[in-house]
Amino acid sequence: MIRVAAVGDIHLGPESQGTLRPAFETLPECADLLLLAGDLTRHGTPEEARVVAREIEGLAVPVVAVLGNHDHHDERPKEVTAILQDAGARVLEGESTVVTCGGARVGVAGTKGFGGGFVGRSAGEFGEPIMKEFVRYSRRCADALRMSLEELAEQGCDVRIALTHFSPVADTLAGEPLEIYPFLGTYLLAEAIDTAGADFAVHGHAHAGSEHGMTAGGVKVRNVAQPVIGRAFHIYHLPVRERAAAARTTAG
Amino acid sequence: MNSHGEQHASGTPPAGGLEYRVAHLRDRLAAGDLAELGARAEVRGQAVLLTGTVPSAHCRDEILRLAGEELAGVEVHCDLVVAEASSPDHAEELT
Repeated sequence: MIRVAAVGDIHLGPESQGTLRPAFETLPECADLLLLAGDLTRHGTPEEARVVAREIEGLAVPVVAVLGNHDHHDERPKEVTAILQDAGARVLEGESTVVTCGGARVGVAGTKGFGGGFVGRSAGEFGEPIMKEFVRYSRRCADALRMSLEELAEQGCDVRIALTHFSPVADTLAGEPLEIYPFLGTYLLAEAIDTAGADFAVHGHAHAGSEHGMTAGGVKVRNVAQPVIGRAFHIYHLPVRERAAAARTTAG
Repeated sequence: MNSHGEQHASGTPPAGGLEYRVAHLRDRLAAGDLAELGARAEVRGQAVLLTGTVPSAHCRDEILRLAGEELAGVEVHCDLVVAEASSPDHAEELT
C-alpha cells in the first residue's frame, strides 16, 4: 500500500508562514509522499514562493508539486519553480518523476493543465487567434500529461498518479457555478489519463467543488483543494500488491 | 482602487447598480493584494452575502474591509471561513 498525502490551493502569503508546517511535520507518520496540486502562492512572487519553500523544506517525505494559475500570475513561474526545487520539491510541468516507497515505484506525472470545459460544453479551436491559442495551450498540457504517464508505464512503475491543478473531470466541480466549469478544467486531461492509463488522479483549483470523481475510463479523481478537504492535506491509501495480484489473475 | 466607478458620468447610478458594484468588488478582490478568487459575493435581496474559504484570518478581514469600501451603504453578510490547517484524522482506502 502506498500512502499518498495531497493538498492544493494553500495560497500562502507572507502572513501564512508556519501555518501548515506543524501538520506537514506529521507526514512521516502517515504518508510516503506529499503531492502539492498547485496554487501554492497567491500571486506567484518569489517572496511568496519562499514562504512555501520554508513550509516544505527538510520534510522527511518526498514532495512532488505542480504550479497553479496563481503561481503564474506574476509571470515568473521559473523562479517560483527554482525556489521550490531548492527546498527539495520535484516540480513537474509536462514531466514525470519516480518515487520509491518501501520497494514500490510510484510514478507521478504532472502538469498545471488548463481550462476549456467538458464534453459537449467545451471550447473549440476555432475563430479568433486568442481563442485558438486558449484551446491549443490546454491541448499541449494534456498531451504532455499523456506522454509523461506513458513514460512511467515504460519505466515499470507499480503505481502511476496524474497530478494537475485544473480538473480533468466535472464530477469534482459539483458545488461550483456551472457557468465557470470551462475555466476550471478540461476533459482533455481526463482523455490523456484514460489513454495512457493511471491508478489515481489528483487536482485542485475548484475551491467550491467536491472531493470525489472518476474519469470515463474509471480512474479515481480527487479534488484536494484545501477549502474542499478542510485539512492541511488528505491521505489516500493506494493498493499495490492487490492490484498486481488482480492483474495476474486477469492475465491468467 | 476601483477604476470602474459606481455612477454614470451624469452622477446617477446605473440601473441594477448593486450587481455591478458586486462585480467590481470581485474584480478588486482578484486584482488586489489578496488575489482572492475563491471568495464568492452574491446579491441576496437588498444585501450582499460573502461565502467561501480563505487562507487566513487576515484575508477574511481584508475582504470585509474591501467589501465595506466597495459596498458602502449596503448590508453585507459574512459567512467566510478560514481554511483548516490541522492534520487529517483518517485516510481514504482506494480499492
